[in-house]
Amino acid sequence: MRPGSIIYFLREAFKSLSRNRLLSFATISTVAISILILGFAVLLTINASALMNYLESDVEIVAFLEKDLTKSQISDIKQDLTAITGVKSVNFVSREKALDKLQESYGGKEYNLKETLGKNPLPNSYEIKADDPHNVSKIAAQVKKIDGIYKVNYGQGVVERLFKVTRWVRIVSMVFIVLLVFAAVFLIATTIRLAIFARRKEIYLMKLIGSTDWFVRWPFFIEGVFLGATGGLIAILVLAAGYGSLINHMDALFFLPLVTNAKILSNVYISLLICGAVLGVLGTWISLNRFLDV
Amino acid sequence: MLVQFYNVSKIYPNGVKALDDISLKIQRGEFLFLMGPSGAGKSTLVKMLFREELPTRGQIFLASRSIVRMKRGEVPRLRRNIGIVFQDFKLLENKTVYENIAFAMEVVGASSRDIKERVTEVIKMVGLKGKEKSFPGELSGGEQQRVGIARALANRPLLLIADEPTGNLDINTSQEIMELLFNINRTGTTVIMATHARELVKSAGKRVLMLEEGKIVADNPPGELVL
Repeated sequence: MRPGSIIYFLREAFKSLSRNRLLSFATISTVAISILILGFAVLLTINASALMNYLESDVEIVAFLEKDLTKSQISDIKQDLTAITGVKSVNFVSREKALDKLQESYGGKEYNLKETLGKNPLPNSYEIKADDPHNVSKIAAQVKKIDGIYKVNYGQGVVERLFKVTRWVRIVSMVFIVLLVFAAVFLIATTIRLAIFARRKEIYLMKLIGSTDWFVRWPFFIEGVFLGATGGLIAILVLAAGYGSLINHMDALFFLPLVTNAKILSNVYISLLICGAVLGVLGTWISLNRFLDV
Repeated sequence: MLVQFYNVSKIYPNGVKALDDISLKIQRGEFLFLMGPSGAGKSTLVKMLFREELPTRGQIFLASRSIVRMKRGEVPRLRRNIGIVFQDFKLLENKTVYENIAFAMEVVGASSRDIKERVTEVIKMVGLKGKEKSFPGELSGGEQQRVGIARALANRPLLLIADEPTGNLDINTSQEIMELLFNINRTGTTVIMATHARELVKSAGKRVLMLEEGKIVADNPPGELVL
């Protein structure tokens, strides 16, 4: 492409933007609203996914040890547990520590469990975490076979149901986002088609005079990128402001962990901006091709 | 030989037979009138030359290259060798005379220096000096058609196609436009003009091709009076 042509494309694109101010405004608004809804859905999905991860990571296997095991037997069991494939960490909880924990969950010093009970009824145990929480039931089955372990607990039943829910939340939100993208493309393409329709005579002439498809396309694409990115930017500003104040208020109100990681959020915003520009180009592409067929 | 048609037929998807087995040769530098009643196939024939329409059957060559077998990507090159003049001028209302003509060169990627030089030249050629900054709406029909012709000439075409160029003009203005086209032809550009205007054709003394219901019914060489 010659430098002269690039200048020509830019000049044509911005001439057309200022000439069709109302349609430009309509397109920017359409993109902004589409990206806003899309961004809202993405943030919702990310948070839902973070919550699901949080819930899933809480899933662990507790293996209770038989009474009267020697120290070396206890450490042998630890070795056996670590050897199981898919095990991430194995953490020993002594019966004393277990009682302390229980004491804590009953509210500190008001009821002294040790005094009340006289002696500690709790067994030693191992807390086992899996690399992938989805494998806990398989791992638990193997843990059960190890000598010296009399009971294995991992929230049987509840865990399976949790995974079913998290799977569906993920699928539904992905489908939702894909549908939103389609709706946005369609909406933007329709708006851009109005702008192109107003210039169909010019496009027809260009084609008959002998300009290539790409020569016709470039100014429209530049226009599309500009409109899409502008709309995207507006949406991101609104979204960032809204989400920011939500984080500030939610913090005090809920125990739900909102995603506040700056890197994740800036990635989301940058992706949305690119998405706006791509939607602009895609909308232009869809609308333009029909008029190029001369 | 600039243009060759071999057994060209065109049947539109709605079943209308626009051209029926047309064979035709046009020499370089010729001036050809294409006559016939509405619906005889003049426009279809003309549109095939710049590949806006493709024939259903037959072959068409321009400067020995097949227009029919040409790939889509080669069409722009073909069209740059052809200037087209329209009955309704097809000027862009928001561009000045100068810009309308420059447009034709811009869209084929000419340099701005070439554009300046050539546009000034063709404006002089069609007699519109001093009107460069006018908008089409400020011009008479004859002047607008001159802009259309200047635009068609800007890229120095081998072939100028004029489809009813005087259809929207009165008889005196039509005569002026005809003079302009003859002058262009004299400089070596081949001209094909589709028209209804018998008066213009009669006095011209050029080759006349008569079409009726998609068939060539007469092909009168230059100088032979028709009708």
